[in-house]
Amino acid sequence: MNVFRRLAAQWAERYRKMSIQMVLSLSFTAVAAAGMLLMSVSLIWRFSAVNEQLVAENSRRVLAQANLNLDSYLRRMMRISDTVYYRSIKNMDLAEDDLTGDLSLLYEENRDDLVSLAVFDGEGALVSAVPLTALKRDAETADSDWFQAASQSMENLHFSTPHVQNIFDDPDYPYRWVVSLSRHVQLTRDGATEGGVLLVDMSFSGIEQVCRDVTLGSGGYLYLIDGDGELIYHPRQQLIYAGLLEENNRAAAAYRDGSHQEKFQGRSRQVTVKTMGYTGWKLVGVAPAESWFAASPQLPLFGLTLLLFSIFLMAFLNFLISARISDPILRLERSIRELDKGLAGVKIEEGGCYEVQRLNHAVASMVSTMRHLMDDIVRQEGEKRRSELEVLQSQINPHFLYNTLDSVIWMTESGQQTEAIQMVTSLARLFRISLSKGKSIIPLADELEHARHYMNIQQIRYKNKFTTEIEARPGTEGLYTLKLIIQPLLENAIYHGMASAEDDGLIRVTAYREGEDLLIDVEDNGLGMRPELAASLLDEDRPEVRTKGSGIGVRNVHQRVGLTFGEGYGLAIFSEPDEGTLVRIRLPALDREEAERRRQGEEL
Amino acid sequence: MKTEKSRLIQIAILAALGLAAALSLALPQLLRGEREPQLLSLTVLLRDTDSSGWTVARQGMEQAADELGAELRFLTLAAANDGAEQEELLLREIEDGAAALVVVPADPAALSAALDPWLVVCPVVTLESPMEGAAGVVSPDNALLGQELAEALLEDWDGGEVLLLDTAGRCAGVSARLAAAEETLAAEGIPARRAEALPEEPPRWVMAFEPSVTQRTAEGREAGGRDFALYGVGSAAAITAQLERGNLAAIAAWSDYAAGYLAVRRAVNAVRGTGGALGPLPFFILREEDIYAPENQKLLFPIMSSSSR
Repeated sequence: MNVFRRLAAQWAERYRKMSIQMVLSLSFTAVAAAGMLLMSVSLIWRFSAVNEQLVAENSRRVLAQANLNLDSYLRRMMRISDTVYYRSIKNMDLAEDDLTGDLSLLYEENRDDLVSLAVFDGEGALVSAVPLTALKRDAETADSDWFQAASQSMENLHFSTPHVQNIFDDPDYPYRWVVSLSRHVQLTRDGATEGGVLLVDMSFSGIEQVCRDVTLGSGGYLYLIDGDGELIYHPRQQLIYAGLLEENNRAAAAYRDGSHQEKFQGRSRQVTVKTMGYTGWKLVGVAPAESWFAASPQLPLFGLTLLLFSIFLMAFLNFLISARISDPILRLERSIRELDKGLAGVKIEEGGCYEVQRLNHAVASMVSTMRHLMDDIVRQEGEKRRSELEVLQSQINPHFLYNTLDSVIWMTESGQQTEAIQMVTSLARLFRISLSKGKSIIPLADELEHARHYMNIQQIRYKNKFTTEIEARPGTEGLYTLKLIIQPLLENAIYHGMASAEDDGLIRVTAYREGEDLLIDVEDNGLGMRPELAASLLDEDRPEVRTKGSGIGVRNVHQRVGLTFGEGYGLAIFSEPDEGTLVRIRLPALDREEAERRRQGEEL
Repeated sequence: MKTEKSRLIQIAILAALGLAAALSLALPQLLRGEREPQLLSLTVLLRDTDSSGWTVARQGMEQAADELGAELRFLTLAAANDGAEQEELLLREIEDGAAALVVVPADPAALSAALDPWLVVCPVVTLESPMEGAAGVVSPDNALLGQELAEALLEDWDGGEVLLLDTAGRCAGVSARLAAAEETLAAEGIPARRAEALPEEPPRWVMAFEPSVTQRTAEGREAGGRDFALYGVGSAAAITAQLERGNLAAIAAWSDYAAGYLAVRRAVNAVRGTGGALGPLPFFILREEDIYAPENQKLLFPIMSSSSR
């Protein structure tokens, strides 16, 4: 029981690890093979049963024919006996007539079948015999089985089992095998009757010839026994007599007429018995099991070939069909695994049978919905981030406002009316452009104007330690840009580039077109920085330190441009220590229509 | 990865099934080749000039040859017990392609030495005498046979010398019978002597240990009207007839049919590498009054002989 449980557990474990195709194909193949095996076994069983019946039928037919032939032969011998008795002995007085003449005549007529004809008186003394006329000196005729049988049962004719006839004196000592037919007869001598025995010795070869040519199919044979099972004829009789072979003749003597199954010396065989009418002898037909179980030894092999080929075909078809069923499921599973790994652009195929198609469709629909939701989340997050950045950048630095207003007060008190007015005017313009009616995309000219006003204010504050050049090259007319992207760069240039300037500082802003892009360069001739530091300023993972000149404004501009226009757009910083810094803004070259379309998109 | 493994398993299953189907298709052809062995050519060589005493043994040999798919070639010698001629004939038969030999060796030791290089390729089965290197010997227990024949004589013995006919020369089987009989008689204090031929005036008791010598001596006894008790060996019809006529007091007999059958069967099995060792052949001491006992009839007179006559 434990073994079965362990096997079941092992099978369940193996089943869990098997692919669906393997489960389908192996199960189908196993069921098909079992079915075919069952069918083959039942066919073979049925075939064998029918064959067994046919063999039995054939044996019965052959035995009936052999019985007919043998009976005919024995009846001929009995007729010879009758002829001797009723035509010669009954009509003769032995005191006057000689029986030998009649016996010789009959013997000559039947010499192929007869060995001797003899008549004995009641004491066993020879009355007459042919062809040998004298008995051996020590012949004990009266003690012979055939004599005793005839004397004891006077009404019948008696057939002996084969024996060597040894009573006649033959100088050649031929030792002939005979079957003796004996009967009790009434002899007449001097008018008086007395008992006697008539002996007809049939040549054994006569019986042998009748039985020898009978065949019972493959490996089958026929033998003849008397009522006690004593062997009369067997195709391998001398081997049995010599002790080199055994036969089941004693058991066969007990069988009734008909077909029987027996197992002899480890081999199954079918034995058919037919009892001969007068003699009580039994014809026994033997057919070994092989002769009906497989009429030809090639038949089971041919059956095996068919079975194996059928299983091969079934397995091949099962593998194909199971692959066709399971492949779409496997592809779906592979796609889901790829999705799980985060691969983009994974396509869900909608192949296979109806149920699998529905499953694929449902999964594809679910993935699509998920993607849309994720896109929405990403977009919303981007929008939110951009809005935050825009709000951050649109806020006027309170220090800047305080310093500017402080400068205006100082200039007013010192009588520099014109400079004060210029500063206030630039501040007002700065605010106006910053607002821009809430629009995030404004004309390039306005952005440059915004930069110019900012620089005007800063130049006054820094007492013209640096000069500013702002240029819009041809081709940029009518183009639009993101609002407030130059001012943070200028602020950075002033704080980092111009800190140590000695009236020779230069900040140059140049807008120009390159293909479908608008480029705005903000360049200073200040201290500059190492290229790796310059590269790190745009690194999103850089810790956010809100100090003056930390570069956070520059990074915000970079993120805003990226969030608004996508990858490929943003800032690039080129700098060398003591040579200055160039910050380049790359934007799509937006015309009025495109700018308007984007604005509407943002509003939506 | 798992799918690949499954595919490999499937291909392996299909390949195995395909191979099995192809093999089962080819198997009948292979089996047919095995089932139909070639007819084996066997040579049977006696040590006598006349094979009439081997008629029954020959019937047994032919029965075995018929059953086992062999054809027999019977040879006799120009001179009885000529070992050299026997060697020459056997070597010629081997060269002519005999698959196996069944021999009644005249000189087993010399024959074994002469055939030694060939015994592996051409098995030899001997009758009557064992031979070194032979695939088997079909013979009664010669020593026991000699002993029991002497004991049969002892039952009748009432005085006088016993003559032991020493006719076999170097034939070991016959010599073993003679030696055992001699030893048995000596143990009982019976005077015995050896002679190569029957003297003009033989003693009252004579023992022969070869079938042919037994037959000749019995015929000589009848023809010469001599009165001595002869004890011999053999079961040929001529010997049995002499026993029945009273020219033999007793014989040690065995089934010649069984001997012939077993010799050929063993030779065929030796060629095909099947079968096992042979045991000694059963024998019995037969007197006149027992000839026609049913069991003796079956052994002494082969039933097929009636149809062949």
